Amino acid sequence: MLEVIRFDHVSFRYPDEEKWIFEDLSFSVEHGERVVITGPSGCGKSTLLYLCNRLYPGNCDGIVKGTITLFDKESEAYEPGEVNHKIATVFQDPDAQFCMLTVEEELAFTLENLNVNRKEMDERIRDVLELTGLTDFRQSIIQQLSGGEKQRIATACALIMEPEVLLLDEPISHLDPYTAKQFISWLDELQKKRSLTIVAIEHRVDLWDSFFDRSISLESMPGAGLLLKREISKQGKQALQVCKVRTDSFLQETSFTLEKGEVAVLAGPNGSGKSTLLKTLCGLIPSKGTVKPSQLGYVPQSPEFLFITKSVKDELSFGGGNGADILLERLHLSAVTEAHPFAVSHGQKRRVAIASMLCDGREIILMDEPTSGQDAASLSELAGLIDERAREGTTFLIVTHDMEFAYAVADTLLLIKKGYLTGKFSADSVWEDEQLLTAHHLLQPKGWMAREVCFA
Amino acid sequence: MKSALHNMNPSVKFVLVTICMFTLAFFFNPWTPLFVWMGVIMMQLLFSRIDWKMWMLFMIPFVIMAFGYFWTTLVFAEDKSGPVVLSVWSMHITEVQLNHALSLSFRVLAFSGLSLLFALTTNPVSFILSLMQQMRLSPKIAYSILVGYQFLPVLKDEFVQIQQAHRLRGAVQEKNVFRRLLNMRKILLPMLAGAVRKAERAAFAMEARGFTGEKRKSFYTIIHVGKVDGYMVSLFMLLIVLSCTSVLYIN
Repeated sequence: MLEVIRFDHVSFRYPDEEKWIFEDLSFSVEHGERVVITGPSGCGKSTLLYLCNRLYPGNCDGIVKGTITLFDKESEAYEPGEVNHKIATVFQDPDAQFCMLTVEEELAFTLENLNVNRKEMDERIRDVLELTGLTDFRQSIIQQLSGGEKQRIATACALIMEPEVLLLDEPISHLDPYTAKQFISWLDELQKKRSLTIVAIEHRVDLWDSFFDRSISLESMPGAGLLLKREISKQGKQALQVCKVRTDSFLQETSFTLEKGEVAVLAGPNGSGKSTLLKTLCGLIPSKGTVKPSQLGYVPQSPEFLFITKSVKDELSFGGGNGADILLERLHLSAVTEAHPFAVSHGQKRRVAIASMLCDGREIILMDEPTSGQDAASLSELAGLIDERAREGTTFLIVTHDMEFAYAVADTLLLIKKGYLTGKFSADSVWEDEQLLTAHHLLQPKGWMAREVCFA
Repeated sequence: MKSALHNMNPSVKFVLVTICMFTLAFFFNPWTPLFVWMGVIMMQLLFSRIDWKMWMLFMIPFVIMAFGYFWTTLVFAEDKSGPVVLSVWSMHITEVQLNHALSLSFRVLAFSGLSLLFALTTNPVSFILSLMQQMRLSPKIAYSILVGYQFLPVLKDEFVQIQQAHRLRGAVQEKNVFRRLLNMRKILLPMLAGAVRKAERAAFAMEARGFTGEKRKSFYTIIHVGKVDGYMVSLFMLLIVLSCTSVLYIN
């Protein structure tokens, strides 16, 4: 078989850092293989991918030892941009990989880069859209498409170069479970049609079922990666009452209650109004109806959006609440009290955000997509944090696409579709009901299925 | 006919507008800029489908500015020679004073009229494409502007989100404008951090699709230079020549 990518004793580090990102790495990928590269965040997965398509070391002045061979030629021997049409890449963020307005222009941009003759362009655009089943989207405006559609467009843009290798950088981390599954089976067919070589990085390989032939692990996953199902911590006392809340435009009339210490997960398809509901509840979007209590805590997907002051400690006491010191200790922030809130790790930022909400006396925490783009270790850290806080009486309402995470933490599930809250269900009853799950673009969590097998 | 200004080649239009402005700078009398301004409005009435409400809205600050020039030149003029044409209370306004004031304010109006003509009838994307095709602008600069343009709505969303988050924290909106501007940096800081990250991602995505920033050999969307451009250039030139010579037969 033909080797397309080969690493021989490769080490890599950034110029201003002493530590090697990875050392003495050797592997090879053969034509037509489907390989996944796994490892926790920060272990150099993306770096490895960027070495494969020659974005690195040129763009970061990184230091490379060893040899990287792409198609029987050393990586350094290629001109800039020369190898990119043979090794194409789809990136993680659906919002930051397009530069033109419409799908057609975006595809044409790629062809212009390759200096394709103008007469051929139209035909190649038509062909690739047909191949990928996206013909209807030709004139669509990219920013108006959904995340799943954008990832498919990005794949089409990669395929129009007629590459031999397709590199994928966590392509499904922003998609809801059902859309992710569709994307995977769509990719499966494409790979067979074009006999592509696929190299992906992914920390949630379980979502891909048996798509990959083999996996390369950069660093052994720490044992903490396993999410364990927590005990129900509802305390029987009503904490949040939402009565007939609706917005003028999108959100239909919504009523539900949550108990003290309850952890509820709000789930539904991409664009079903999950974030809108959270924002409405904490009064950021004008609405009708009543929410009791009126002061709710809110942690956006990027917790740094909340930060106003220059130190973690000031951040907690900003709202005028007492007990900042106790909270700092209970949320394991004692070591960073004087640090700038922007300078701490992502997990710490989230803890600062939660702590400052609690310090303001907001005992109900609404979290928007805290799981997106997180690796196993930080997911289990997050699950642990939620469990600990819930035990002490904090109520959580969490928006997430991650079914494994939902399975691990949720006491109850709120399902939403097209701005209409289908209802509040106990977690177990939702996992049983496949119809209900499919209707909301969700999938049965693997944890639940494993347990069912055990019982059978 | 109604869309001639919109169909013009953006680069040609740009050069034309620049030439008009440059020429105007050499004529210091009230009539030339007044005629250019009126001509420009005429042309937009005849050859464009612009939203006149928007035009008025954009014109407001320029009208205020023009009036400001007019007023200050009248009151604080140095050259007070010539016969007095107008007397208000104890103020005597001479012909020279009035001429200077009117020249300055009409010049402001003419310049803003020309700029608005360009801004309201040009699609920014085709302007950039045209600069690349006709004016040999480097693709590196052209596409970075285009990407920035695509990011504007994303940045706006982010701005609103951060503002909402801060409101939730109880950061009250300052009444004092200066204070509010100062507080803006608290919103801009996280936005800037996010923008740097996004920019890097976008750059990587472009490079991964073979973008090297070199001159391109072929374009999918070709921005033509056509007959319309010829007609419009002649029309503009006629307007400029007529306005510039107007001084001769009016005096």
